[in-house]
Amino acid sequence: MDIFQSTTEPGILTLTLSGRLDADTTAKFGEVLGGAIDGGHHKIVLDLSGVDYVSSVGLRALILAAKRLSPLGGRIVLCGPQERIRHLLEIAGFTSIFTIVATRDEALEQLR
Amino acid sequence: MSSICTILGNERAEIVRLGEIAERFGADERLTDDEVMGINLVLDEVVTNIIDYGYDDADRHEIRVTMTCEGNVLTIEVDDDARAFDPLAAPPPDLDLPLEERPIGGLGIHIVRSVMNDVEYQRRDGHNILTMRKTIGRT
Repeated sequence: MDIFQSTTEPGILTLTLSGRLDADTTAKFGEVLGGAIDGGHHKIVLDLSGVDYVSSVGLRALILAAKRLSPLGGRIVLCGPQERIRHLLEIAGFTSIFTIVATRDEALEQLR
Repeated sequence: MSSICTILGNERAEIVRLGEIAERFGADERLTDDEVMGINLVLDEVVTNIIDYGYDDADRHEIRVTMTCEGNVLTIEVDDDARAFDPLAAPPPDLDLPLEERPIGGLGIHIVRSVMNDVEYQRRDGHNILTMRKTIGRT
C-alpha cells in the first residue's frame, strides 16, 4: 500500500492510494487518514484508482473516518474505483453513505 | 473433480500464502479474475477473523482450508479449532442506515454471504467448520 498526499486545491486533501487495503496495510492507512483529520483536513478525496484489493478491514477504516468527519462538517469523496472494487463498495452499502465518482476532477467538484 | 487442501498456521503472514494458493488453484481451474478475487476476499475475511479473534491462547493452531471444484460448483471449507463461533448467527447489516448509525463491524461475513451462494456452519468435535459454495462459470 502506497499513499500519496496532495493539496492541489486549498482546503481539499487528496490521498492517492495504490495496492492492497487489507488487514496488514489498513493500520498505516488509518494513521495517515486520522492524522490528516487531526491536522484540520475535513474535505478529503480518496483516489482509489490504483487500489486492486479491499477487505472489510479497509472498509471499516473508511466508515470510521467518515464518522469522525461528519460532525466536523467534513466528508470523504471516493473516486476512480476499479469495477470490482466498486462492486465491493456496493455490496458493503457504501453507495448510500459515500459519494463515489469516476474521476478526481469530479471528486474535487463535489467538495468545492 | 479437483481439490486442494492446505494447512495454515494462525498468523497473519499465512493470509498472503493462502492468497497465492487460491490464485494458483483459480488458474488451474480456469476461474475468471473476478471469481479468483472473490475467493481471495472470502478466504481473507474468514481466516483473518479466526486468526485475530478465535484463540484464547498464544499457541500454534492449524487452520485447514480445502477448495474443491466439481462441475460448475466451487466449494471452500475452512476447518479450525478456535473457540466456537457461528458467523451466520449475526443478523445481516442494515445497509439503509445513515452514516451516524452505521455499525463499524459486521461487514466481513456480509461480504462472504454476498460473494458465495451458500454458506453453512457446523461445530463438530471441537472444530468450527464453515462450508461455502459458489456457482462458477469456467472460462
